Amino acid sequence: MHELPRLSTGIPRLDTILGGGLVEGASYIVQGHPGAGKTIFSNQVAFANLARGGKVLYITLLAETHDRLFQALGTLDFFDRSQLGVNISYVSVFQTLRYEGLSAVVSLIRQEIARQSATLLVFDGLLNASDRADTNLDVKTFVAEVQSQAAFAGCTVLFLTSTRIAEDSPEHTMVDGVIELHNELVGVRTVRRLQVKKSRGSAGLGGYHQFEITSAGLVAYPRLEAILSSATVEDRPGSALIASGTAGFDAMLGGGLPESSVTLVFGPSGCGKTSLGLNFLSRASAEEPALHFGFYETPGRLLKKAGSLGVDLETPMKSGALEVIWNPMTENLLDKLGHRLIDAVRSRGVKRLLIDGLGGFERAAVHPSRLVEFFAALTNEIRALGVTTFATWELRDLFGPTVTAPGSEISSLLDNLVMLRHVELGSRYKRTLSVLKVRDREYEPVIHELGFGSKGLKVISALEPVTGATTGVATAVGQEPHA
Amino acid sequence: MWLPPSARNHTLERKHEPNQMPLIVIAEDEFLIADVLTIMLEDAGYEVAAAPHGRAALALVREKRPSLVITDFMMPLMTGLELAQAMRADVELSHIPVILVSGAQGSIGRAHPEVFDAVLDKPYNEKKLLDTVSGLLS
Repeated sequence: MHELPRLSTGIPRLDTILGGGLVEGASYIVQGHPGAGKTIFSNQVAFANLARGGKVLYITLLAETHDRLFQALGTLDFFDRSQLGVNISYVSVFQTLRYEGLSAVVSLIRQEIARQSATLLVFDGLLNASDRADTNLDVKTFVAEVQSQAAFAGCTVLFLTSTRIAEDSPEHTMVDGVIELHNELVGVRTVRRLQVKKSRGSAGLGGYHQFEITSAGLVAYPRLEAILSSATVEDRPGSALIASGTAGFDAMLGGGLPESSVTLVFGPSGCGKTSLGLNFLSRASAEEPALHFGFYETPGRLLKKAGSLGVDLETPMKSGALEVIWNPMTENLLDKLGHRLIDAVRSRGVKRLLIDGLGGFERAAVHPSRLVEFFAALTNEIRALGVTTFATWELRDLFGPTVTAPGSEISSLLDNLVMLRHVELGSRYKRTLSVLKVRDREYEPVIHELGFGSKGLKVISALEPVTGATTGVATAVGQEPHA
Repeated sequence: MWLPPSARNHTLERKHEPNQMPLIVIAEDEFLIADVLTIMLEDAGYEVAAAPHGRAALALVREKRPSLVITDFMMPLMTGLELAQAMRADVELSHIPVILVSGAQGSIGRAHPEVFDAVLDKPYNEKKLLDTVSGLLS
């Protein structure tokens, strides 16, 4: 199969969305409302091209002066002022358009591409060119001539426009690709998304993908379920059992946690979910690197908490066997979180993972209906990477007669289910642990009481015979109220 | 203002006479900057002709023989550096002072003192521009 020569955009992960990057010598429309990020997008692509030895011609038809543009770009890491006028030229053809028309602009562009040996042409202001055209045919001819002349010179073209060009318009039909940038209000927050609406000769990732603009420029986050529609490595589940780190728990699990499985630990606040996870992380070693991917405690507070429970996390953290990544429960992007987690797992070959908790992903979801597919992609990938995972999920009700499976369909994606509860019994609250499911193994289906010892949370013993423990309000067997 | 041949008025077409106010040619592709420069210089009593790129400016210089040229750096078809070099290479134009005004390429201009008589970094104020112009014309 013949591979098309590609031009990297320099925008993290955008090349993947585009099916390998921009096609060299091809032309693209980049459209989006003012403020959508077109200028940063195109300049980031331009400077990435310079970094690979390319030459860029940046043509504008805008009223904004180039100095204002440079002032704004100066806040971004990729902008290199020393390249201006050397390998990248920003020129305005507004006056040429005003006095001589579109054909003169085409002629000027042709001469400039040749004169500068440009490998990338950015044309900012297709809307202005359209305004000057007498008919749609003029714009069509303009786009066709510019792209054919650029293609002849092997120069890739980005036409920037703030209008949404209809899918049946001549421009849309003629160019090789259309990239649309959105900046939308969702509730009280804004979310940036991009869509590759057309990508000739490329098997890109369709649909919307979140992105953000940072000091590094645009960073794209492909929808996890799209980019990981199947795991990147073959899933070869082992048969080893992994120590949970909690005394007495492995016996309940039938010997330990199945290797490369995902265990959901759910229960109300304060019942010991994180403590169970900290025990799991305390077994981190050079052979089994661990990661705490949390939403609630800062690394400092997590260390303090572990220390007060008698769980040593400092040693594995200092040795590098344990990494703590804290994601404040503020405004997050679902796919950014997913990629951050996968990247952290891959970069260190993580084998023990605590996600505390899955609710952080749920809160970040702009479209909660995606969560099942998102978690399916996430868990498939981390399982295939050989990671044994503890994931916590907080139940809303501290007590109650019913317990709803967390995340509806999500729990069915997970291998092992462990429920923690507060149980009121004889005017005392007891923490309990129940194993509800273990992948492909027999387990002990008995509710056990949890307690804290000198080295963190531990399983004390089977709970005395009661009924209603899973509701949180238990009654000793034989003392149940008569109906 | 630079205008295409068909749109130029008679005033811009005529040769510059020695008894008139000094003529300054502006080479600037960004029309807003060209307009502001033109207004500033005309208010100071100079006659001004503008061109939207270096190649048009060189043609204008050859035609009008101005007293001074103010040029941007990055322009289509011919940069400000190429314009100044072309003028220095032409014995009939080499004596005309050239000022480079630039937001980002001032250092390139300073590296070529043989072609630029002065380099002004944007942003600059009106007084600095007019002082530089009058200094070079005196």
